[in-house]
Amino acid sequence: MKNAIRFFKVQNVRRAVQAAFLLLFLFLFIQTESKGSDELGYPVRLFLDFDPLILVTTLLSAHAVAKAFALSLVTIMITVVLGRVFCGWVCPLGTLNNLVGSIRPRRPAVTYAPWYRVKYYLLIGTLASALFSLQPAGIMDPLSLLIRSFSVSVYPLFNYTVRSVFDTIFRIDPLGLASLTEPVYSVLKKTVLSFEQASYRQGVFIGMVFFTVLGLNLVEKRFWCKYLCPLGAFLGLLSRRSLLKRTVSEGCTSCGACAAVCQGNASPEAKERWRDAECMVCRNCDDICPQNAVSFGFSPRRKAAGLDLGRRRVIGSALSGIAAVPLLRAVPLVKTGAQDPLLLRPPGSLEEKEFLKRCVRCGECMKVCTTNGLQPTLLEAGVEGIWSPLLVPRIGYCEYRCTLCGQVCPTGAIKKLKLEEKIKVRIGLAMIDKGRCLPWAHARPCIVCEEVCPTSKKAIWFESAKVRDRQGKPLMVKQPYVDLELCIGCGICEAKCPVLGRPAISVTSVGESRSRENQLLIPGTEAGY
Amino acid sequence: MDRRHFLKLAALAGAGLSVPGGIGQLAEAAEQASRPDLTVVRGGSPDQLARSAIEAMGGIRKFISRGDIVVIKPNIGWDRTPEQAGNTNPEVVATVVKLCFEAGAKKVKVFDRPVNDPRRCYVQSGIAPAVKALGAEADYMDERKFKDMAINGQALKSWPLYTEIFEADKVINIPIAKHHGLAKLTLSMKNWMGVMGGSRRQIHQKLDESLVDLSMKIKPTLTILDAVRILTANGPQGGSLADVKRLDTLVAGFDPVAIDSYGATLFGMKGSDLGYVALGHRLGLGQMDLSRLVIRKISV
Repeated sequence: MKNAIRFFKVQNVRRAVQAAFLLLFLFLFIQTESKGSDELGYPVRLFLDFDPLILVTTLLSAHAVAKAFALSLVTIMITVVLGRVFCGWVCPLGTLNNLVGSIRPRRPAVTYAPWYRVKYYLLIGTLASALFSLQPAGIMDPLSLLIRSFSVSVYPLFNYTVRSVFDTIFRIDPLGLASLTEPVYSVLKKTVLSFEQASYRQGVFIGMVFFTVLGLNLVEKRFWCKYLCPLGAFLGLLSRRSLLKRTVSEGCTSCGACAAVCQGNASPEAKERWRDAECMVCRNCDDICPQNAVSFGFSPRRKAAGLDLGRRRVIGSALSGIAAVPLLRAVPLVKTGAQDPLLLRPPGSLEEKEFLKRCVRCGECMKVCTTNGLQPTLLEAGVEGIWSPLLVPRIGYCEYRCTLCGQVCPTGAIKKLKLEEKIKVRIGLAMIDKGRCLPWAHARPCIVCEEVCPTSKKAIWFESAKVRDRQGKPLMVKQPYVDLELCIGCGICEAKCPVLGRPAISVTSVGESRSRENQLLIPGTEAGY
Repeated sequence: MDRRHFLKLAALAGAGLSVPGGIGQLAEAAEQASRPDLTVVRGGSPDQLARSAIEAMGGIRKFISRGDIVVIKPNIGWDRTPEQAGNTNPEVVATVVKLCFEAGAKKVKVFDRPVNDPRRCYVQSGIAPAVKALGAEADYMDERKFKDMAINGQALKSWPLYTEIFEADKVINIPIAKHHGLAKLTLSMKNWMGVMGGSRRQIHQKLDESLVDLSMKIKPTLTILDAVRILTANGPQGGSLADVKRLDTLVAGFDPVAIDSYGATLFGMKGSDLGYVALGHRLGLGQMDLSRLVIRKISV
């Protein structure tokens, strides 16, 4: 009977479950892309919807409930019943950490076990600053971190690599190899590759952060999960009262086999003195125990070491979190007119303060943007706004009839807009640089900006004017003007302006619908519709 | 049939086949005399209009042979729906695809290089779903298939153009008639901007010359100008239904200058009002003087 039980390894089931969730995650990630319809057809932000850290922090910072409130309650309930199964069985970043950690053959002699407290301090700091209206959770929330890193760095890198390999084979065509690779390439294009190669300003920086997180697994497997992850800490606190308990029977010979395989550094060999909040329910201790002395079951008894974080350190973390709020806010950026004029937020973004209270930097909007125009900021929105989305028209304009960024935003920092609402939202205003514009400065016809202007009637209009060339020969050109009441700042004029380098027409945030102060026209005249 | 009769017939048939062109050429000439320069069909569904326009120009089998690879070039330039008249009518395109397959075309490819996001343009225009359902290819244009080609024109010396246009056995141009700020109207000649690669926005600096250059280079088998709905203002993409006028009209022909000259009349203009039409006429690309053309008008 004992042998029969040993034959069944929980580990294999867990690996299958982890693989399934990772594949689901990747599938939804790849589906976060326009197919030309108005909607995506898949719940692409599903993992974020189940993230209780985002729920709690937005609740604290913005007093608002994230869109799919109910789903993250499921995660909380599961954790209360079963413990940190999310970490051990579901989290796609955890699974990736697991995989990378497997490269390292043996367990290191020295572990950073006492560091397990760090993640709790980070969590406490995060929650404290959220209470005082800051939203820093996204920087280290594992799902935001993962989606952001994939969107901005890993996926563009993957696409670049695959495309350049197949393109090189196609161009050189060694030994007629291209006839074999091209069909493979076309399948990849239809399945896992993006529609077009995307690229992002912070790709290298965000990528380096992500690869550092993965690289830490070579220091110690699941280093991130054990020592740094604030969501793991949050679930750890919840799991302390979980119903599913680990018990060690009398048969335990204290051989220490379990200590070597524990994914959470929970000190399983310490029996009742183990750190239950660190347990990810991987069940490796159960699998490996030669005496089969370990079992998981629902029992009322609670035997574990207390979570000793130290009162001073807890208070210190909380105060640090609180101090971060004025530190980040007392900057000139908050002054009207002092903001970066190029900080163009996606259509439907809330007023800047409210926006920053909600945006968790998950990068979903940047991934889904049809033109690749949404890019992560560095310091355009201050340190507080790092990696939040901004539109860079020269990279990609805002597609007039597209509403996808608002559909994928998990926290409502970008409102979900109906098409008829969206086309009235002003991101900013375009203005012409007459010193660079071809018909204004160089006696050459152009008027591309007017052609592509999507509003109807067009915000860009022109007057036919007689100009003279260098020889004094008169010729007629059409000189463009911007109708400030009609312009929505989508930036297609800037994107398509043939004057490369500094464009002859460009958008700044002045006039953006979401701001009361950042306005140009007399209030009441701005609505062009 | 006796032997003598049979030999006589065989000899006749042999002679007929051995003369180059033979009887076929005579028939062709006779038919061409009766074939109009332009056909204007009005007043039916887009499907009926397309069918009768092609029928009046000699029938689809006149243009498409069994096994042909056919390229159909509609205007799919904008993220607009069919009723907004920013792109070619999807039903017209679908009917032409259907007829090509009926005539035995091996492959029908439909494409354009849009100004807006290609995915949205292909889907929202209704063109890609309609033609894919019929078995045609509606692939997005592939960067690799643009090749720098000599044009040696007035404005364009060479430009990257889409190779599939030149590799196809037959090309059918199906533009839509629309208002355009710079060109005044965009009709058949301007539709070839959709096969230009590179930074094509630069050609606005010499638009009339460039459009004539392109039409000198690209010679479609047939052109059908879609005026089921025309866009009278805020073109070329429009957006407001107030600018859309329903004409239920198609203009079919071979001469781009003649087609665009007739197209101008749909907007109350003359061909000579359009710089590229006048220039095309002057350079011998085609005939803009409608009084010198045989125009067949059909009411469906």
